[in-house]
Amino acid sequence: MHRLYLIPTLLINVVIIFIPAALTIALAFCRWDGIGTPVFIGLANFRQLFADRVFWMALGNNIIWTAIFLTVPIAMGLLAATMMLIARRGSAFFQVIYFLPMVIATAITARVWQGMIYSPLTGIAGLVTRAGFPVPNPLTQPSTALYGIAVVDLWHWWGFLCVIFFAALRQVPQEQIEAARIEGASFWQMLRYVLLPGIRPTITLMMIMTIIWSFLVFDFVYILTQGGPAFSSEVLSTLAYRSAFYDLAVGKAAAVAVVISLFGLATTAFYIRLQAKEFDQ
Amino acid sequence: MDRRTFLAGSLGASLVPFMNRMAFAAGKPVTWWYESAAPAQQEAIANVLVAGFNAAHPDYSLAIDYRGSELDKQMRVALLSGNGPDVVYTAGPSYVAPMARAGQLLALDDYAEKLGWNKRVLPVFLEMGKYDGKLYAVPKTYETLGLFYNKAVLNKNGWKAPTTLAEMEALADEALKAKLVPFASGNAGWRGNNEHYVTIVFNSIAGPENVYKALTGEIPWTAEPFVAAINKLNDWWQKGYFGPDYFSLETEQFFAQMAAGRSPMLPSGTWHFQYIQSYFKENADQCGFVGFPSAEGLGGPVYALGVGSTLSIAAASQNPDGAAAAIDYVFSPEFYGAMNSVWQGEWNTPLVDLSMVKISNDVPALYAETMKTLAESVAKNQYGYTSWTFLPPATDTQLINGIEEVWLGRATVADYLAQLDATFQQEKADGKVPAVPAR
Repeated sequence: MHRLYLIPTLLINVVIIFIPAALTIALAFCRWDGIGTPVFIGLANFRQLFADRVFWMALGNNIIWTAIFLTVPIAMGLLAATMMLIARRGSAFFQVIYFLPMVIATAITARVWQGMIYSPLTGIAGLVTRAGFPVPNPLTQPSTALYGIAVVDLWHWWGFLCVIFFAALRQVPQEQIEAARIEGASFWQMLRYVLLPGIRPTITLMMIMTIIWSFLVFDFVYILTQGGPAFSSEVLSTLAYRSAFYDLAVGKAAAVAVVISLFGLATTAFYIRLQAKEFDQ
Repeated sequence: MDRRTFLAGSLGASLVPFMNRMAFAAGKPVTWWYESAAPAQQEAIANVLVAGFNAAHPDYSLAIDYRGSELDKQMRVALLSGNGPDVVYTAGPSYVAPMARAGQLLALDDYAEKLGWNKRVLPVFLEMGKYDGKLYAVPKTYETLGLFYNKAVLNKNGWKAPTTLAEMEALADEALKAKLVPFASGNAGWRGNNEHYVTIVFNSIAGPENVYKALTGEIPWTAEPFVAAINKLNDWWQKGYFGPDYFSLETEQFFAQMAAGRSPMLPSGTWHFQYIQSYFKENADQCGFVGFPSAEGLGGPVYALGVGSTLSIAAASQNPDGAAAAIDYVFSPEFYGAMNSVWQGEWNTPLVDLSMVKISNDVPALYAETMKTLAESVAKNQYGYTSWTFLPPATDTQLINGIEEVWLGRATVADYLAQLDATFQQEKADGKVPAVPAR
């Protein structure tokens, strides 16, 4: 009888996740313009994708993006959270300040950075340039576009990690921290031997989620550059979007979506194995 | 609250979504989904289109629903599920063929005959809306590309509006020396702006005959005239004609740049007429427009023909007669005059006879003259082809995105055209190339 309680959630999962996922996988093997009847073409979409240099550029950009987000915001978040833990004064205030960018809608954050910071006409970059110190708009150079977008996402993201890490750090037993202090541990020693091992499960989870989210990144890229200039900031999700809604090649877009999911699946499998190992210990 | 009150209340609340169709509609409802429109534009639609149509057709009640810039995606999903509005608004002829093929649109031949569209609408546009010999769409507006210029800047520097390609390049070089950006341009708001420049060089340098041959598969897009055209466009980019901020500027920003005198010229489409009054203000007569100068041997300027949006009737429409009446109203000289008096460039319906049209004196005479010149060139079959109207979707995307690779040195002109041609040939084989009227 108690199993009946599972029905509502199962139903939601089937309708919202399982059916669309199954249809997407099926469409990856079809040619479909999003309007007519899909035609089965086997692996042709994947063959076409693997021969497309833009796909490899997009995949490369997703890997760079993942590397950036696995290091920079996690390091920044950990450092700020530890400092808030040690110097408790004003920690509530800083938590609010750091977290604030997270509650602003993505579209607004992106437009603010695009128009008020990076723009050579209306932004701070333009102001500095007019003052005699030329600052190019990073979004307009192929070599910097992806990093220009990453800066905006970092600004919005790292505060969230900081608050999560701070909450986790507060669960580290106070006695261990006191003991380390009495033993004369420096800040870095405290971090290395007490705090980081204490919140390792949280860090691992955040890293796993970062990998999954990095392969799903879409909003900031689409609003700021739409993958340009010259595909320099194209990522897999913008490629899928362009294929589906501009090229009317929904089958190819589904194939890209399957590739994105494979990365998420591999990461999730790794996490589950890791968790299982920890349980065994 | 007792059970009966609760049930009555719930039933009443559940009917709210249908009330606009039932209680407030004086006549049989006609629904029309529209893309994004600024408040002033929505006011023009409410006053001129909705109020005008409802007064002229008391049996129907037209309702416009603004769906934003993602209209075409919403439309596709709605039509696929057998829903959607009565009047189907698409982003151009390339979207019509797949919808017609899937049986989502109603053939309009009977309405065209009965309501006289065959006589009132320029024949070339009726050809473009055909699929498998039947008419499925009529253009809501048509447009062309040309060269806007700031007369004050030209006068101040002793320059003349260019009539040949050589004159235009000489003017641009002079502008560079005067520390001006020759072409006010940008693509930050809409990457599709790239295709305006590719379309210009394809028509004004390679020539419309060659574009026609490529569209009909007679020559490939890698043919020499297209190589010369893209080489020229790339030369202009490398010389700095498009300025250092191309990827940062949005459409209204670069129009303002020309109005403020920081650029002498703005190569773009006739839809920019709507900005003249906002940015030139009382100096509206200081904005000039000429056809984009052509290469030697092509004669005068080539007016590339563009259809940015089309109107159809959904096959699943509950009120096809009402939808046809609404489309018919858009093709009336009264509507043309009233709408173009308040909003220029977006409602330029392809009427054969513009002599009955009365446009407000507040509208720059240049607009009416340009549209008349365009209508005449089309009537004489002397027109070019815009990429967004005549190319299939993936080829058009490649044309837009690939040109950035050429400009930024990440692809050669030959690579760009080879990829364009490969995409086009694939889509041509798949039957995705829109109808191209014979020359």
